[in-house]
Amino acid sequence: MAVRVAVAARLRPARRLVYIYFRCLGQQMKAILAYEADFAILMFSAVLVQIVGFAFIWAIFQRIPSVNGWTFWQVVMMYALIYVTEGVGSLFFEGTWRVSQLVYDGQFDQMLLRPISPIVQVLAGAVGFNGLGNIVTGMVLIGISMANSPIEWTPGRLVMFAILLVSASTIRVAINLGSAASAFWIRTPWSLVPTFVHQLGDFAKYPITIYSLGVQALIVVAVPFAFISFFPTAYVFGMEAWSLAGLLTPLVALYCLFIAVVLFRIGLRRYESTGH
Amino acid sequence: MRGFRKYVSFARTSLEITFVYRAGFAVNMIGTIFYVVAMFYLWQTIFLGNPGALGGFTWPEMKAYLLVAFLLNSLLTWYQEWVMGEDIRQGVVAIDLARPIDFQASRFSRAIGPVPFEFTSALAVAAIVAFAFGGIALPADPARAGLFLLSAGLATMIKFGLVYCVSMAAFWTTGTEGLTVGRMAVQNIFSGALIPLVFFPDWLRAIAAVLPFQGMISTPALTYLGKLDGPTTALMLAVQAAWAVGLIVLGRLVWGRAVRVVTINGG
Amino acid sequence: MPLIEASGLTKKFRQAVKEPGLVGSLKHFFTRKYRDKLAVDHIDLSVEAGESVAYLGPNGAGKSTTIKMLTGILVPTSGRLVVDGLVPSEKRQQNARKMGVVFGQRTQLWWDIPVIESFNLARDMYEIPPKRYKENLGQFTELLGLADFMNLPAGKISLGQRMRADLCMALLHDPKLLYLDEPTIGLDIAVKDSIRKFIRGLVEERGTTIMLTTHDLGDIEDICKRIVIIDNGKIIHDGDLRALKDTYARDRVIHFQLARPPESMTPICAGLPACEIGSDGLRLSVRFDRFEHAAGEIAAAVMPYVEVVDFRIDEPEVEDLIRKVYLGQLTLSPAVEAAAMATEA
Repeated sequence: MAVRVAVAARLRPARRLVYIYFRCLGQQMKAILAYEADFAILMFSAVLVQIVGFAFIWAIFQRIPSVNGWTFWQVVMMYALIYVTEGVGSLFFEGTWRVSQLVYDGQFDQMLLRPISPIVQVLAGAVGFNGLGNIVTGMVLIGISMANSPIEWTPGRLVMFAILLVSASTIRVAINLGSAASAFWIRTPWSLVPTFVHQLGDFAKYPITIYSLGVQALIVVAVPFAFISFFPTAYVFGMEAWSLAGLLTPLVALYCLFIAVVLFRIGLRRYESTGH
Repeated sequence: MRGFRKYVSFARTSLEITFVYRAGFAVNMIGTIFYVVAMFYLWQTIFLGNPGALGGFTWPEMKAYLLVAFLLNSLLTWYQEWVMGEDIRQGVVAIDLARPIDFQASRFSRAIGPVPFEFTSALAVAAIVAFAFGGIALPADPARAGLFLLSAGLATMIKFGLVYCVSMAAFWTTGTEGLTVGRMAVQNIFSGALIPLVFFPDWLRAIAAVLPFQGMISTPALTYLGKLDGPTTALMLAVQAAWAVGLIVLGRLVWGRAVRVVTINGG
Repeated sequence: MPLIEASGLTKKFRQAVKEPGLVGSLKHFFTRKYRDKLAVDHIDLSVEAGESVAYLGPNGAGKSTTIKMLTGILVPTSGRLVVDGLVPSEKRQQNARKMGVVFGQRTQLWWDIPVIESFNLARDMYEIPPKRYKENLGQFTELLGLADFMNLPAGKISLGQRMRADLCMALLHDPKLLYLDEPTIGLDIAVKDSIRKFIRGLVEERGTTIMLTTHDLGDIEDICKRIVIIDNGKIIHDGDLRALKDTYARDRVIHFQLARPPESMTPICAGLPACEIGSDGLRLSVRFDRFEHAAGEIAAAVMPYVEVVDFRIDEPEVEDLIRKVYLGQLTLSPAVEAAAMATEA
């Protein structure tokens, strides 16, 4: 009994953070639903973007059977993973895109005046409903490509894939958060560095084996987009050389999250000491 | 001619503003470059594995195509649907209505202003990428180059007309970002920006033929590469011109309607 | 044991010094030159629980920098700062629980959702016990008249309504300390009065400590007993407001409206040797030290020589006093504090 109380007491701060996060996010959702027409358009457009990309990949594979040994459905899955994680980032963690504006306006102070971690407030700060379109479309594409995968879908494999999806999303959010910390050094109303970093994701839509060593190093080590798309796909399709790396994805996710939080904290400290 | 001067000053102001925000512009451009570079690597791998021509394109030709698409896409990037949204929100529209200017012409001048800057930056970047990847196909002769420039100019007009029309929706909705994303998605596929239209099945090409997007990328790029014979080139250029004019006229009509709505309801 | 204790509190900012023009930018790119700006210069401040303190200073004097340090969002360069047993910048979130903040220019409410939802969020953020939350909410709704717009989003209510809602939000968690920054800015006089009354009530009934920064001297007169003035990062005055007025704002002015211009000013001036007399057609004004003369005396000295149709008395303005201090025309001396002690005793 005492142990249970003790454990509960230790979990309390973590549970509270999660609870507060969802409370704040919920309020944002209510606010957004006020602008229905907008979000319908955004969502529809997000779906359109993916469909167009799919058509592009399809058109290529009409003429050629494989790229570097990677087949059509494998490339589709990589592509879709980038968008699904982007959707998760938009839907649940759009707040990271607001940091630049808040710091620029001086409105960020408000977050520091509340008795809650500013990071949680940032993450819960906004909702991008277009993310829903990205998630749904992407999951459909992933589903179809899984159906076309030659490997057997054991329950264990499915569970692993679910873990990989969560890890991939975590990496995406961590990248967004970490690059958002740049706002404490570079003051602009738009998210300059986060947008720049986000574009690197374009590389990870296709098998990384096509790139030079430099680019590979960039998206595997520096900003691990490859662990969002390429390595999980390699695992799902049982591509010998790479699927082992795919299993590393959860670790990479935790590592990225850690780095992102550290970066953000350093940025916060700078903000608090240099004033605004 | 005195009337003309104010539009020139609109253009110049717009160019200055772009220069002020060059950091943002640079970041945007570098972001697009990632995409282009990824495409280069992709096609390089494809061509390595499948030597010869694909869809009638050799590797040097494909490189040229991609860079022409990049260059044309870089123009008029400042001017997007959000500008109209901002103008409405800030009440600039209301003010402009009281001024002796043609609204569409003023928007055009503001859109055209940054073009020299956009063009030179994109050209510089394209040159670097071309050099890094071993050179690209160039126009066969000056006549071809001239035709290309003409086609590119028309393509820019079409782009303006299109964005102007779509941005009219800003009078009825508050979200222009979704519209821009949607327009760009449709544009990307039907203009041939993603991949030359020849790679698509016939039915899709048939649809693209009756849409204005083809004239934005595909026609200029194919003209550059000399992939179209004489009569076809003339036809495609005429189609471009027709779309440019048509979209601009459409824009004026929608504008008239929008203004009536605004002035009745009190923008 | 004071609630707020600051000694030698300092904040130094490093500003990059850049010469204008392209040459300047290039130079700056290679060799950076910095200049130190001492925004807050070794100030000592001590505030007891239950005090209501006005914190004044011209723009750029270091007011907001001080407040930012007190609220924990800015780290001091040096010196000691303890608020209710905590160092604010080190224990920011804990400190945040004990304080409420109302910024006149910016709201703490969430913009797009109903006011009541912002309050509910506050309840969760500050972990307010449900019973206490209900009590406070009920009380503040009544006192501040929030019922009418409780279900409207913050973006759709008037400035006065928003201010009242902000006050409520800041107090729901029973903070010991309330920071107010320009709380009545832009409000009409009726709303200003009701807000000031409410804040006074807080001090009297709940013993809340108030730190008020404002340019509105009406706020100060109504709410605060103590006034601290900062200029160029240094505190140039810290003491009782009434004593301050008694020492420096001693003038009253009587304005007389006459039936006819006075025939001669000499007898009037003779009767009021220490006073400043101004005459302008049908108007006659007398400025006098209110500790030296009573209004009746002045009237008695004036009325035999003129026919008075109407008159009006202007009370001493803290406004003028403060303006003079800002302009450097007036330096406040510690004598004021001595006077304060005297009047208290």
